[in-house]
Amino acid sequence: MGYEPLVKQNPLRVVDLGSKNNQMGLVMARAGLGKTALLVQIALDSILRGNRVVHVSIGDSIDKTRLWYDDIIQVILQDGSVSNPHELIDMVQRHRMIMTFKESAFTRARLEERLNDLILQDIFKPRCIVIDGFDFGGADRAALEDIKELMESMSLQAWFSVVSHRNDDRVSPAGVPAPCHEDDDIFDTVILLNPEADVIKLDILRSTSELPEGAGELTLDPSTMLVKSM
Amino acid sequence: MNKDLNKVRNIGISAHIDSGKTTLTERILFYTDRIHAIHEVRGKDGVGATMDSMELEKERGITIQSAATYCNWKGIDINIIDTPGHVDFTVEVERALRVLDGAVLILCSVGGVQSQSITVDRQMTRYNVPRIAFINKCDRTGANPARVAQQLRDKLNLNAVMIQLPIGLESDLEGMVDLVTMKAIYFDGDQGEEIRIEDIPANMQDEADEKREEMLDAVSMFSDELMEAMLEEEEITEELVNEAIRNGTLALELAPVMIGSAYKNKGVQPLLDAVEKYLPSPTDVENIALDLDNDEKEIAVSNDVNDPLVALAFKLEDGRYGQLTYVRTYQGELKKGEFIVNCRTGKKVKVGRLVRMHSNEMEEIDHAGSGDIIALFGVDCASGDTFCHSSINWSMSSMHVPTPVISLAIAPVDNKSQANMSKALNRFSKEDPTFKTFVDHETSETIISGMGELHLEVYIERMKREYQADVEVGVPRVAYRETITQKADFNYTHKKQTGGSGQFGRVGGYMEPLEDEEYEFVDDIVGGSIPREFIGACDKGFKMSLEKGVLTGAPITGVRCVVNDGASHSVDSSDMAFQQAAKGAFREGYKKAKPVIMEPIMKVAVEGPSEFQGAIMGSLNQRRGVIVGTFEEGNYTVVEAEMPLSEMFGYSTTLRSLTQGKAEFTMEFATYKQVPKSISEELIKEYEDSRKND
Repeated sequence: MGYEPLVKQNPLRVVDLGSKNNQMGLVMARAGLGKTALLVQIALDSILRGNRVVHVSIGDSIDKTRLWYDDIIQVILQDGSVSNPHELIDMVQRHRMIMTFKESAFTRARLEERLNDLILQDIFKPRCIVIDGFDFGGADRAALEDIKELMESMSLQAWFSVVSHRNDDRVSPAGVPAPCHEDDDIFDTVILLNPEADVIKLDILRSTSELPEGAGELTLDPSTMLVKSM
Repeated sequence: MNKDLNKVRNIGISAHIDSGKTTLTERILFYTDRIHAIHEVRGKDGVGATMDSMELEKERGITIQSAATYCNWKGIDINIIDTPGHVDFTVEVERALRVLDGAVLILCSVGGVQSQSITVDRQMTRYNVPRIAFINKCDRTGANPARVAQQLRDKLNLNAVMIQLPIGLESDLEGMVDLVTMKAIYFDGDQGEEIRIEDIPANMQDEADEKREEMLDAVSMFSDELMEAMLEEEEITEELVNEAIRNGTLALELAPVMIGSAYKNKGVQPLLDAVEKYLPSPTDVENIALDLDNDEKEIAVSNDVNDPLVALAFKLEDGRYGQLTYVRTYQGELKKGEFIVNCRTGKKVKVGRLVRMHSNEMEEIDHAGSGDIIALFGVDCASGDTFCHSSINWSMSSMHVPTPVISLAIAPVDNKSQANMSKALNRFSKEDPTFKTFVDHETSETIISGMGELHLEVYIERMKREYQADVEVGVPRVAYRETITQKADFNYTHKKQTGGSGQFGRVGGYMEPLEDEEYEFVDDIVGGSIPREFIGACDKGFKMSLEKGVLTGAPITGVRCVVNDGASHSVDSSDMAFQQAAKGAFREGYKKAKPVIMEPIMKVAVEGPSEFQGAIMGSLNQRRGVIVGTFEEGNYTVVEAEMPLSEMFGYSTTLRSLTQGKAEFTMEFATYKQVPKSISEELIKEYEDSRKND
């Protein structure tokens, strides 16, 4: 497809996104730091590797979610390395499906039903699913394990986002803050967005692979929201 | 006449199809004494609602054209435009919105904010129309006004604030609590004409207090005095609250939400009061005109009757007595017998008869002041024209008109129909800028084009009914286009010099893809290899070539033609020769420039119960659609997709049978995209076959 250079250049490579295993990933941050931007980049990376991605957005509209992709694609296109921008935009659209739910309407059973609708009718076979806005506060460990099992049975890679709160200082031994401090072992990869003076650092708290030399110095560029390697 | 403009309201009533617009308008006319009996839209008495003036509308129970009507409520002149609800007629809605100062957005208490409400709301935002929301049909089973108000906030991003509370719901709907006056309102009499105001029922007092607090919190943002009164815990007067609501509404930052059931005659009179209290008068709204004598500089119209006239023709209708032109005046005065100038044509016309419209009955008047909506007789113009006093040359800013995406060939069945058909087509294309008609030179067929299947169907019906023109209708055709995908050189010599006066011209250069524009001609000739006087002929030759592409005969767009070389002959070169040379050059370049076929892609939204989501997605997927996303709330779901128009024929039938008639869809034009290879080959083959047969 000719997007290998884009895939290779992606600084997120260090967290082994292309793993064959059906890993579960988690992006944590306080409100407004760029969780969705990071999830969208993880989704785009999967799309550029030829996979199909379901983007579940709980509490947001289709248009708003779409706008995130459009913005990030525009930034990627800016350096001019992609020869046919229309083709890329079209490809992304065909490889991505947005599912939005009202907070109250999202359940594991419904998600399974929707994914089955897509897969059994051969409409869309996702390899990766990102779930933005899942209510970790209202879900217990059993619910998370339930979803993990669903992802495994459907051979899906899943990425979640979760909001951590400034005034809640409970942490797990691995350094994963609340509300996931007791369930962090469910996830194979955990990335915490950590704001410092003028950058937002990506702290990789858990990872399936050994981090290569120099890893752990990823940042989010605050103007483009793109992941950068320092 | 120096009418007090503060006592004029020009309002529109728009909403999703079947939300009860026409029924509501009917009730308004009844309560304002304009009509003396109520006829239901699909009533058993067969008379039909007064606003549905066209026969076809009466039969189908839908409103197609926005009839303007006038009424008077407690000393306030209200001009109402009843606008159609189906997306196929959006240009009608948009044109109506252009001349309105405010609007009532009607929502069904069960269906809530549906896709068409979203479209209409977007249009209202585009034209800065302040609005009141009216949640109708509160007597229906499943009515839930609070949920609808929440949807207004979520889906339309409106700051929706309920200023009424229902007393009872569904079949128990009795009346409502007014949160501004804190009184209960009931509607007595056979047709709800007697209003009874009482204290709030004891069992609702707490709820009413709580909701009033919420409402005051929201509206106090728009009035410092109210905010102060609340902070100081002074008495909060009705006037203060009303003023705050009005300020918020006019600033488009607040949408007061009212409730009722037009069909059950509940809540209509309070809505009329709200129109007076919260919606703008013509002086509250700034309307902009373009000064054509001054480089289209923007000028605000004054609303002053003593200034020179500026009026906009926003709708034409062919009535029993000739052409009827609906006009909105923005400043100055329209007087019977005076001369006015049509700014588009520069023609002077005399104002013959001037009438105030009440659906399809009318009332003769002598003059109309600024801010009024009236109709003129016997004035020749197109919809969207501006009329001015001869001393100025202003035009009201242009309206956004989408390009047609679908076309049909029609043929009259006999001679009589032939004449009537051309009369009808002439009329329709004047009335509706999205309706186009032309004759295909190759097939000599008459082609009509518009915004969707239903749009064209309605015009064909109207041709039959209003003009007695029976026509045979071809298969709907999608408006394909062709474009090029790469740069290509051309160098073509047109030469005919065999005796007599010859023809000679050579045109060299290249063509390349051009984004977002149809065509551009660039003259890069240096040293006069093509003489100045023939450059125009080259441009013309290219333009003629654009009319019909070689792949499927569709028009070509998105091409830049650059001429940088050529040759001429001192005697044999002519305009004609260079036109021919340019055509030849275009043909030569076009084949090398990898031409492709483009098709219209529609943005489609299907709404229905969640249980059918799988089936809906399957049906869209089968039709080459790209599903953009889904939205779920409770048991209700929306699937958004981008669909090729060519695959959407007959979709409404499919959808109905798939979902037991419980789902519906809307579509609007989104963009043009290249057709997939397999389809493209089919289209090319079809075109070649049809040419062979001719």
